[in-house]
Amino acid sequence: MAGWRKPARDLGSRASADWDVPSSTVLYRDPSSTTLDLDKVSEYLVETLGLKCEVRQNFLSLYAERDREALARAIAATRVRNILRPFEQIEPIYGEVQFELRLLEEPTKRVPGVLYDGYRYLRVMRDLLPRAERSLRVLHIAFEHRILGTFDDDGRYHARAVVCGYPSVVSTSGIVEAPAKPAAYYRVKAQLALALGAVPFDAVKEPFKGQFIDYDDPRLTEVARGYALQAAIYHITKEAFCGDSACRLFNGHWQAEMITAQLESGGLCPRHERVAAEISGLARRERAAKKH
Amino acid sequence: MPIFGEASEAEVTRAILAGFTKDLGEYASTEVIIVGGGPSGLTAARELALNGVRNVVIERNNYIGGGFWIGGYLMNTVTLRSPAQKYLDEIGCPYKKYSENLYVTPGPHACSKLIAAAMDAGAKIQNMTSFEDIVLREKNRVAGVVINWTPVQALPHEITCVDPIALECELVIDATGHDAYVIQALEKRGLAKRIGEGGMWIEKSEDAVVEHTGIAYPGVVVAGMSVCSTYGLPRMGPTFGAMLLSGKRAAEVALKELGRTPKKKR
Repeated sequence: MAGWRKPARDLGSRASADWDVPSSTVLYRDPSSTTLDLDKVSEYLVETLGLKCEVRQNFLSLYAERDREALARAIAATRVRNILRPFEQIEPIYGEVQFELRLLEEPTKRVPGVLYDGYRYLRVMRDLLPRAERSLRVLHIAFEHRILGTFDDDGRYHARAVVCGYPSVVSTSGIVEAPAKPAAYYRVKAQLALALGAVPFDAVKEPFKGQFIDYDDPRLTEVARGYALQAAIYHITKEAFCGDSACRLFNGHWQAEMITAQLESGGLCPRHERVAAEISGLARRERAAKKH
Repeated sequence: MPIFGEASEAEVTRAILAGFTKDLGEYASTEVIIVGGGPSGLTAARELALNGVRNVVIERNNYIGGGFWIGGYLMNTVTLRSPAQKYLDEIGCPYKKYSENLYVTPGPHACSKLIAAAMDAGAKIQNMTSFEDIVLREKNRVAGVVINWTPVQALPHEITCVDPIALECELVIDATGHDAYVIQALEKRGLAKRIGEGGMWIEKSEDAVVEHTGIAYPGVVVAGMSVCSTYGLPRMGPTFGAMLLSGKRAAEVALKELGRTPKKKR
């Protein structure tokens, strides 16, 4: 989607009338991430969109107290078996369920290497939401270590940093793995893999230091703010991403694009600034009306 | 004065036979059978033996060690990412730091140390022996393996109509590499399935292999590269850290399954 620009739309009252401004927003922690400060992400959403935010513990730990095995089975069933084919529903095998059970028991563990179908995974999460909070009045954004992907028109799955839906998921591993690193990184990696028989990841990364977000990167919180904003604006306006590469709602396919949008620019394009201001106003008015 | 003492041909034959028969008699019924004598199988064998678990490694080749003799592209330097080098410390194998988190060691040294370490701990090895099938018991739980001499498989059936034999055990560890032969045998009966290996695409594949090591079917633990093809995980290239740690994890799972308490860290 890099370089793709969505035509600007008139943001009159007609558009905002269809928006779903949530009365509350819940962010869920990812205990596997050592550098993600979710309170700062929450503060950003409050500042930018005027939303009422609450930070809760890990989504699955919070809502999956009963029948963990059934949940582990449901999660395992969303695994992508072949990234070059559309999703195939296959009964998960015993060991896959056991693996998910172990992950549920140890939420601080981070095990990338498995790709899950994003929308099916969200469906599993949606079923866990408390009934009272299962409406568009409550925005749920879960931070997760699992890598979610979506099947695209080019006939293959792509890993995603964020999958917007209900709830939305920002993947802390996806932020590292989904946007491509500099092309030269892959060339060096391939050369060293051939010469050494293994990839000395740290040595390969060294010349490109700073050019991509790594696991436990200190810049993760700042990047996560942008993805949380993408999820929130999608929830409210149903508009996916922005075509302006300097806007935080730009969905970069390269790490360099992500860094430009989330860290170097760190702001919104003029159009989305207006959207954010309008959301902020609506949220404020709603809270005021509630008070009275 | 001759250098060596006298022993007749018949005595040599009896010695071979006695040693082999004693071993085979012992592991005809044992606690754990490890199919595959590569790095993960040998590590599992060593860890189990150190914890007092009787086990035997079944290896189809004459040589033990699988791919651990050589690294990528037939070059005999093998690489391990941290923390797998700590296992080399445990078995007394020297290594060098190549870069942050990456260590190198000569394949022949590491492999021979690992074989010796497994056998020193008390593991038995039955080489030139191919896994043919599984033994099933109540509720289709795996309770042993069917084996035959490897050369039998290489000859035409008309000449070598040699029936296999079966060994019984409480647990089988499938450490047969990419083929996952034990899981394949279950798959043929419709009892299990393999997903097949995925593409080699990210940094953390090794973690995924270790984390997926465990019971794949009642009575069967998968370890090493068998884990990749069983669960469709990304291949990781010829780096061996995950093989050693997966073998260690397989032993831990087996101990738990056997209801044994792991002995304290040596």
